[in-house]
Amino acid sequence: MLVTSLPQFHEYSIYVYLFCDVKNSAELRGKVAELPFALIDASAICSREQLFSAIYKTILENTYNRIRTKSLNSECILSLSPTSNIGEAFRRFGINEHSSNIVCLAIVPKSDAFDSNLALKVVDGEELDFSDENLATRFKIDVIKKVCY
Amino acid sequence: MSEAIVEQVKKYLTGSIPITPISQGAEAVVFTTEVHPYLPKADNQPSTKYIIKYRPPKQYRHPTIDKTLTKHRTLSESRILSKLSSLPGLNVPKLIACDVYNGCIWLEFLGENLPNGAGFSNLKNFLWMNSSDPYNKTVESTLFKVGEQIGLLHWNDYCHGDLTTSNVVLVRDGESWAPHLIDFGLGSSSTLVEDKGVDLYVLERAIVSTHSSFAEKYNKWIIEGFSSVYQSKGKKGNQKLKDVINRFQDVRLRGRKRSMIG
Ligand SMILES: Nc1ncnc2c1ncn2[C@@H]1O[C@H](COP(=O)(O)O)[C@@H](O)[C@H]1O
Repeated sequence: MLVTSLPQFHEYSIYVYLFCDVKNSAELRGKVAELPFALIDASAICSREQLFSAIYKTILENTYNRIRTKSLNSECILSLSPTSNIGEAFRRFGINEHSSNIVCLAIVPKSDAFDSNLALKVVDGEELDFSDENLATRFKIDVIKKVCY
Repeated sequence: MSEAIVEQVKKYLTGSIPITPISQGAEAVVFTTEVHPYLPKADNQPSTKYIIKYRPPKQYRHPTIDKTLTKHRTLSESRILSKLSSLPGLNVPKLIACDVYNGCIWLEFLGENLPNGAGFSNLKNFLWMNSSDPYNKTVESTLFKVGEQIGLLHWNDYCHGDLTTSNVVLVRDGESWAPHLIDFGLGSSSTLVEDKGVDLYVLERAIVSTHSSFAEKYNKWIIEGFSSVYQSKGKKGNQKLKDVINRFQDVRLRGRKRSMIG
């Protein structure tokens, strides 16, 4: 688990988890709306930079009231996408029933309570460091090409 | 630099992002910082620098119009940079972040300080530095590569809009220099030969005015590099090259005429 915040936006805490060999993605897929984080298919994430640029954009848009989805976490999935089509962004970056590598992301205002162990409890998989090395060996170049061009 | 502007930026960036002002133009103020806007600290090497380019609000404009204009220009520069970054062989600073609401973009910092106090490694200072041996091999190959960069830009139907010798930054590449184009604040996507001819003319004038004794050869090398890009594109490339060079010569004549009258 990586816990951090952005230098310009200290009022938000950012929690990022990377899981591999996830067994219950079908179940998670059914619960995305209730869970307090974004569930992202790690095959579409090639670096920390890619995810964090989307986090920056999300917090920025939120600061100026330009959020287009219903939460910071879902907005982050939209921010990952080069298009502004929300459905497409979720199809491309969100998890599906077969996702085995998953990035779990929560952007939480510091004033809100957040259970940082929840992700570890609900995701049935092995937790890894959210590092460039671990992402690099898991992302799929074909997926990236499809989602980013 | 205006204290008030620096204070605005400091407030906006918060105390966690210390900044150093490096340049103030008509349109934008430029700062450097060592803090990345979003990468976790571990990824941020301590000596890495970033550029923050800020377009301050203009007091003489109506606030709403000012906001719209700033947003438009910030977005336009960012879009162009991001498109140019994806063109193979073209060297521009990487776009890191863009805040259209505050007129801020973050870029990769390019270049370094030249030896013996010769200043920042833009093309202008580089040519000054070499003026005791003005036609050396490094100068020739660097200017050829500057031409190639402009050739690539134009071949892909983009124009710079303010191609001066300060807007070409040289990045060390072993023993040689890799020219990078910066400041796309007036850049555009354009198929017009006129815009391309003007780009070439503006750079030629910049070289003539600061390095007059050597300008003829310098400009020749730039045009050779420029032409090589078009010539590598077959028959169509050669035809387009002819069109651009012809227009460049027209612009030059026109420019001369103007300066004779004015
Ligand atoms: N990416 C960059 N790397 C290094 N220096 C830069 C960069 N962008 C701008 N500068 C400096 O800031 C000045 C003004 O920038 P600009 O307003 O973009 O023309 C330039 O002449 C450079 O000296």
